Amino acid sequence: MDFNKESQMSCSWYAQIENRLLQLLWHLIHVTIDLCYFPLGIADVLESYLISWGLLGRYKSFNVTKLRYLAIVVDSEEVYRTSKIIKLLQWLEAVGIKHVCLYDNEGVLKKSKDFILEKLDGTILFWDAHENDVLSDRQHMTLEFVSFSDGKEAVVKAANVLFMKYSKSGATDQNQKDKIFTESQMSNTLITVGSGGPKPDLLLVYGPARCHLGFPAWRIPYTEIVHMGPLKSMNYGSLVKAIYKFTMVQPNYGKLFFDLHCCVCKH
Amino acid sequence: MMISLRFAIPTPNTLIPTKTKPKPGLVDQSGLNQTALLSSLPKRCESYKLQAANGRGASVVELPEGLSRELMPKHVAVIMDGNGRWARQKGLPASAGHEAGVKSLREMVELCGEWGIQVLTVFAFSTENWIRPKMEVDFLLSLFERALKSEMESFLRFGIRISVIGDSSKLPTSLQKLINQVEETTKNNTRLQLIVAVSYSGKYDVVQACRSIAKRAKDGRIQLADIDESLIEQELETSCTEYPYPDLLIRTSGELRVSNFLLWQLAYTELFFAQEPWPDFGKEGFVKALSSYQQRQRRYGGRHS
Repeated sequence: MDFNKESQMSCSWYAQIENRLLQLLWHLIHVTIDLCYFPLGIADVLESYLISWGLLGRYKSFNVTKLRYLAIVVDSEEVYRTSKIIKLLQWLEAVGIKHVCLYDNEGVLKKSKDFILEKLDGTILFWDAHENDVLSDRQHMTLEFVSFSDGKEAVVKAANVLFMKYSKSGATDQNQKDKIFTESQMSNTLITVGSGGPKPDLLLVYGPARCHLGFPAWRIPYTEIVHMGPLKSMNYGSLVKAIYKFTMVQPNYGKLFFDLHCCVCKH
Repeated sequence: MMISLRFAIPTPNTLIPTKTKPKPGLVDQSGLNQTALLSSLPKRCESYKLQAANGRGASVVELPEGLSRELMPKHVAVIMDGNGRWARQKGLPASAGHEAGVKSLREMVELCGEWGIQVLTVFAFSTENWIRPKMEVDFLLSLFERALKSEMESFLRFGIRISVIGDSSKLPTSLQKLINQVEETTKNNTRLQLIVAVSYSGKYDVVQACRSIAKRAKDGRIQLADIDESLIEQELETSCTEYPYPDLLIRTSGELRVSNFLLWQLAYTELFFAQEPWPDFGKEGFVKALSSYQQRQRRYGGRHS
């Protein structure tokens, strides 16, 4: 019995030593990885400044036509930094972006739209340009202002329109229901209720959290989403870099995801 | 991405340092004899971290440094992208990419169960994928069917509840029946809910919710005036879980989009886009994603989803 007890104590001791060594190894790995990422982080910041100063050639002029529609999401805590937002829009205009959608959850930007438009020479509302058929006019940037009410609330509104249509049809069969409640019908009805804007190619999020804060989800199924950090820390270099990276990406809608499955099929 | 799970519990903890002796507290959820389980353990001196489960399935496994159990997301969603790319980069056949992806998913499911994550949703097959060649689609679905059959025992043993969301009407009848069987058999498991999205898209989910509501309105069970956001949310297929809104969405392989996945549910979800392909994601990638989630300040914009 004593021998068993001693054996157990030895095993326990060895186990503790092993665990301590493993813990030390884990910490070393962590430190190594952190040391690797630190210079990368510094390089990233440095690159942003070099871009801002115009010292990196490839960022000075690049083709932005691929970026047909850009969305900007601003966190509700920073949405009152109107001067920052105007500066951001001026940068976007300087880069050559023609159509921008501004979003904040509570619609503060919507309420400030007249003030913002006033500060940006020649900028007009997207829907005004659309109605007047001047969207292709390369002289002006257009702005669209959306909020949470254009997201889920708009879908509810559109759904109610479809429900009324179904109810009035008097039909009870599945076929009729399937004809009325479809993705394309929902898309068309969203336009009818005033929330059917273009699908952004790129969405930049300015705020502490990496989420889109309720941007109309029906419009962003394949939108590239980039978190830019807080608005107060925004810089021109990071903005240009994000747009440049987007223009260099080859989108692979549908096929990319299914590549995941093609390898299964060949198995 | 189809899954093939082989769980062997209890497992020796070779990475996470342990401080205590093993706690033989396995909660038997499958009717298996607990004594039989313990007696099958290899006799070793090392401390095993047995997967002790309480009523909600929380594990006593020590978390990696920097992670806090209190800040662990309840629901993690994953777009497992990059198996094919991984295989091509290594000069391997596509099947190797799939096998590596399965291993990665298995590891993630285990980690979720150990670290107290309640729900894991994985995007397996999109509605857009139906346009692929029929042979590919048929093979993929048959693979999913075989995987469900072979892993049933593991689901029960590990306490995993399986839910499948998506347009099942397009699936083969045999697969539909199997899905119903698996869901029914595992419905009382509480360790982890694994939601597999098959023939699913975010837009499909919203539209089918509207169809369900229309039927209820037609039947006189609700009035049209009652229809609001919460009613739609009740009818979404993710209402099969107590936590329908992911706290964290992970997409691997460098793509920065959600690809029509869980559109309604992602308004306040933390988005983590990892560069590495899915087979390389692993524990380290998951820890990074969880660390990012826990560290970053999360705001809901004044509304809680």
